Amino acid sequence: MTTPATAHAKPILSARGIVNRFGKQVVHDKLSLDIVPGEIIGIAGGSGSGKSVLLKTLTGLHQPDAGEVLLNGKAVQSIGAAEKASLFGVLFQQGALFSSLSVAQNIMLPMREHTALPAEEQQQIAAMKLALAGLDADSGIKFPAALSGGMVKRAAFARALALDPKILFLDEPTSDLDPIAASGIDALIRQLNDSLGITVVIVTHDLTTLFTICGRIAVLVDKKITVDTADKLMKSDHPWIHEFFHGPRAEGAMQARKTSHGK
Amino acid sequence: MTRVPTNKRQTSADPSGPTVVVSGDGDRLALAGALEIVTLAAARNSLKKWSRQGPSRSLDVAKLDSLDTPGALFLRSLRDKGVKLTGIRAEHQALLDLICGLDLKPLPKVKSVPRWRQLVIQLGKGADNAWQDALDIITFVGRAARWTVNALIHPDCLRPASISRQVAETGIQALPIIGLMAVMIAVVIGYQGVAQLRPYGGEDFTINLVAVSVLREMGVLITSIMVAGRSGSAFTAEIGVMKTREEVDALKVMGIEPMQVLVVPRVIALVITLPLLTFFADIMGLIGGAAIAQTLLDVSPAQYLMRLPHVIDGSDLFVGLIKAPIFAFFIAIVSCMHGLRASGSAESVGRETTRAVVKSIFLVIVLDAFFSILFEKLGL
Repeated sequence: MTTPATAHAKPILSARGIVNRFGKQVVHDKLSLDIVPGEIIGIAGGSGSGKSVLLKTLTGLHQPDAGEVLLNGKAVQSIGAAEKASLFGVLFQQGALFSSLSVAQNIMLPMREHTALPAEEQQQIAAMKLALAGLDADSGIKFPAALSGGMVKRAAFARALALDPKILFLDEPTSDLDPIAASGIDALIRQLNDSLGITVVIVTHDLTTLFTICGRIAVLVDKKITVDTADKLMKSDHPWIHEFFHGPRAEGAMQARKTSHGK
Repeated sequence: MTRVPTNKRQTSADPSGPTVVVSGDGDRLALAGALEIVTLAAARNSLKKWSRQGPSRSLDVAKLDSLDTPGALFLRSLRDKGVKLTGIRAEHQALLDLICGLDLKPLPKVKSVPRWRQLVIQLGKGADNAWQDALDIITFVGRAARWTVNALIHPDCLRPASISRQVAETGIQALPIIGLMAVMIAVVIGYQGVAQLRPYGGEDFTINLVAVSVLREMGVLITSIMVAGRSGSAFTAEIGVMKTREEVDALKVMGIEPMQVLVVPRVIALVITLPLLTFFADIMGLIGGAAIAQTLLDVSPAQYLMRLPHVIDGSDLFVGLIKAPIFAFFIAIVSCMHGLRASGSAESVGRETTRAVVKSIFLVIVLDAFFSILFEKLGL
């Protein structure tokens, strides 16, 4: 089970006063977010609420118009490339696997770039990452074009884990997947969080993912962010948040939460 | 625990980075520090000999501050060799259990084919591809011709708006670059002509050389190659993107024939524009010839104009222009065919575009050679 958010725990990643605007349109208005080590936090919000921009801001891919992102108290933009690679793992929405490399080569690429391990050992580690992500060794020599949607996500997972990151960012990890594959991904996220202690930040629309594996949920609404546990957010008065957690789709997801938390 | 940037040049030797220390002697050793991907090589090297020795060895890992998955994999391999791990911390135990529980198989080896067999395979594949390509082009030419004729017989199937847009894009917007190219090619031929003909005192014939070669060959060839690179690639990319985004399937579902709305307007537009562009290129080439005559031969533009009717006749212009619609037809067909061949991924659009351009330029030159022989036999 994920560790419940504790207000006094020292955040591993914290965003302070983030402002993002495109032209005249303000997407984020001075929002702040603290992410505690070892938690699974879900970022939810309507289409166009700036979830992906927030993810890009947190990973340092996007420079906010104001505010700063601190990783262990250090500005994310000032962290060196190699250090960043060993701290952050990102699972992009479409996987972003390099199409000219096989799956195993995709996983070995960051190791080749940032470590001095011999090729044979890199292959052993790549095979282990594949197994961790729930893929068999045979899929290692396949090219991304030959993989199904669920396998692409798992392969991208394995690559995101290549350097044992401290924080894993997942952009819509269960989108475009059938329910069985999506549940498999959910289980994988929880397992990695349990056994490796990785902090996980998930941007998702998937209510089941939010309800079953996320300790806290950050809802992006009205250019601000509201962070709380699912149970407290359920009682929120805000019309959008109320609709989000009480709509017809939320009912089924709540059922899943009860089952999952019951066992 | 933060890690310090580590790269190939400064591995775990970097004093500020995480390090692993091996202590003790004999069968009992202890690991301390960090057993992570950056210190793995160091740990492996110091334990290499020891791990090969006989049984009853043990490794104490109680002083390990941090352990990551590659480190756990290393401990697993030691354990598999019969080394006993002692003093495992609770937080490392979960990780170790996870890694030891994995069903690990080595990555399968990619079968490598000997070089000579690769050559044979590539030759075979290439021949097969060429054969399939030829079949595809013939089929596609047939289908495109059928739909074009259909559109001409039933003018309400023609799409004038689409055709005029294509004419504007492939024709009018290409005027500056084609005009420039035609002038340049006339200059190139002119300089070569003067240099080669001067020793024989025949440099005046440079005017004939430039005028005839521009009208018969260079005008149409340069224009066709330019159009193949400019508009052919655009056709392939446009249709290819539509294909990858399932827009072509959407047309089919609506009962609209893609050949009719995507291919026929482009073919008709290019068949209209390429002869016009060729004529324009001919005029610009002759103007280039006038410039050469003025600068190298001291023949004034007025004299040049007077001489032109004596050097060229109608058949020179005709021979050049008659080829243009045929080249246009093949450029448009090949480009549209490759566009419709794109599949799924974005990279296939790029690949098909390259192929379309290469193939249409190739076809243009082959057809041009064929026409040269034909006109020679016909005495034109």
